[in-house]
Amino acid sequence: MNIVVFIKQVPDVPNIRIDEQRMTIIREGVESIINPLDCVALQAALELREREGGRITVLSMGPPQSEEALREALAAGADKAILLTDSAFAGADTLATSHVLARAVSKLRPFPDLLLCGMQTIDSDTGHVGPQIAEELDLPQVCGVNEIHVDGDLLVLKRLSEGFLDTIRAPLPALLTVSKELCPVSDLSLGAVEAAFTQKDIIRWAAHDLGLHPDEVGLAGSATHVRKLRQPAARTGGRIVTGSPQSIVDALIRKLESMSILDEED
Amino acid sequence: MSKSFGDVWIFGDYRDYFQNRITLQLIAKGKDLAEMLNTGTTVVLLGEQVHQYAMEYVAHGANTVMVAEHPKLKEYEVETYTTLLSQWVKSYRPEIFIAGATSFGREFFPRLAKRLRTGLSADCVDLEVDPKSLLLVQTTPAFGGELLAEVVTPDRRPQMATVHPGVFRELPHNSEAVGRIIYPDVDVFPEPRVKVIRSRPPIKGKVSLEDASVVIAGGMGLRSKEQFELLYELAELLEGEVGATRPAILSGWADEERLLGQTGKSVKAKLVISIGTSGALQFTTGIQGAETVIAINRDPDAPVFRIVDLGLVADAAAVLPILIETLRRRL
Repeated sequence: MNIVVFIKQVPDVPNIRIDEQRMTIIREGVESIINPLDCVALQAALELREREGGRITVLSMGPPQSEEALREALAAGADKAILLTDSAFAGADTLATSHVLARAVSKLRPFPDLLLCGMQTIDSDTGHVGPQIAEELDLPQVCGVNEIHVDGDLLVLKRLSEGFLDTIRAPLPALLTVSKELCPVSDLSLGAVEAAFTQKDIIRWAAHDLGLHPDEVGLAGSATHVRKLRQPAARTGGRIVTGSPQSIVDALIRKLESMSILDEED
Repeated sequence: MSKSFGDVWIFGDYRDYFQNRITLQLIAKGKDLAEMLNTGTTVVLLGEQVHQYAMEYVAHGANTVMVAEHPKLKEYEVETYTTLLSQWVKSYRPEIFIAGATSFGREFFPRLAKRLRTGLSADCVDLEVDPKSLLLVQTTPAFGGELLAEVVTPDRRPQMATVHPGVFRELPHNSEAVGRIIYPDVDVFPEPRVKVIRSRPPIKGKVSLEDASVVIAGGMGLRSKEQFELLYELAELLEGEVGATRPAILSGWADEERLLGQTGKSVKAKLVISIGTSGALQFTTGIQGAETVIAINRDPDAPVFRIVDLGLVADAAAVLPILIETLRRRL
């Protein structure tokens, strides 16, 4: 079974800080990591390869430094890594991103049996790119998968959807996005990082390698546009009270009385 | 009466209807948007025997409900729904098309947007029509909710967005409301490639944060599970429910079903008392639908104080026992 895993290099979001003047995130000093759910997808691919054989190709679209993420994936056991990098790809929304990734998949020979990615990324959290790749390649999709069984050329899958536990049958080839319940990633071995630096090469494809015109990728190929970034608006009229625990409790009780949650004391 | 072209469209998401009020919330918001655009609000409803939902949507404010009734539409299925709705969009040309960011909405809308070659924003916490450009401004959290991005789709149509459940308030049921329910022709569908062979309904716990009128929310500032458990006493005294932030749940202080925020539940309570939460947007998204928010936190600079009606700077450990004792005496 030949598997493609899409990975995205993201900032380690819980550690980011905001530049409140410029309304951007401060990337300096923040580690870049493989999107955690993409690690789950990679781990699942490694386990499937163990059982079913085949090869794992990791694909990433991003700036040149995304190479680090691909090297980590190679170190963890992926067979082949392809970096889709071109200054024309910058500023892509999910429509343009999925176009580049789908085009890269369609160049692979043989065409993969299974395409995997995380169901969301921690930086933009849209969950769009997986289904949009599936649409462009006319593949069936299942999102948020937490169990994968392969039965010949059929998949039997489980996933939680709005609390419903669905058991799903889908043919191969297919695209799945995975949830964190699929498998633990603690055993994703990155011990061989150094070996990966010397042993396997990373293939680089730019827009022209994929037969893509600059107008259909990046910002130019995007349907959406971020008009501005801002911090969540403060609620106005909020009153801040400090003092002894007893006076704090009194202030809270008065508020509950004014809201008629508590009856006023005689 | 609404015209068919240029309407604001809403995906009629009715699975688990009594829990899932998102479609009604979107109708209410859709009416605001439609008014700015001088157009109507249309719910598109796919399924088998769904007439009752169509009536509900009219009673909650929809001008039009377009219904596709067919046994093959009984199950939510991404490819069938995408094919049918992309045909309808091409025929009727809505200006805006929104869906709830439910599991299905988040799986199906990206595929539909891609087929229509249009833009989509995810899990919006606000939607407005810009009065100058008349573009839909889609406000969506970025970087784990630290920032909000205002996204627009300048040229392509429809302008599509999924919306976080609970951020808009539904209109009351009005049985006198008048609307059109229409049944456009539907094509025969190919066998779907993906088949749900079993779907086990959710096991309903006792916890109903979405419907509670008082919610006590706890975070890491409570410092221990023992402290966190005082919240249940407080909730009982105020006839409320207990919710928690992601870190508190990861610490094992409460079950996942109590998770508040972007990846959890959103409340529309009369009152939220947030105790020992710092106020990451990831969390506050879940409580911003409350009428009144009170926070207790020992750090006067905690971001949570930016969103409160009343901020109490104090150590929860010192305040909680006094508060519980005072309420016991009073009730």
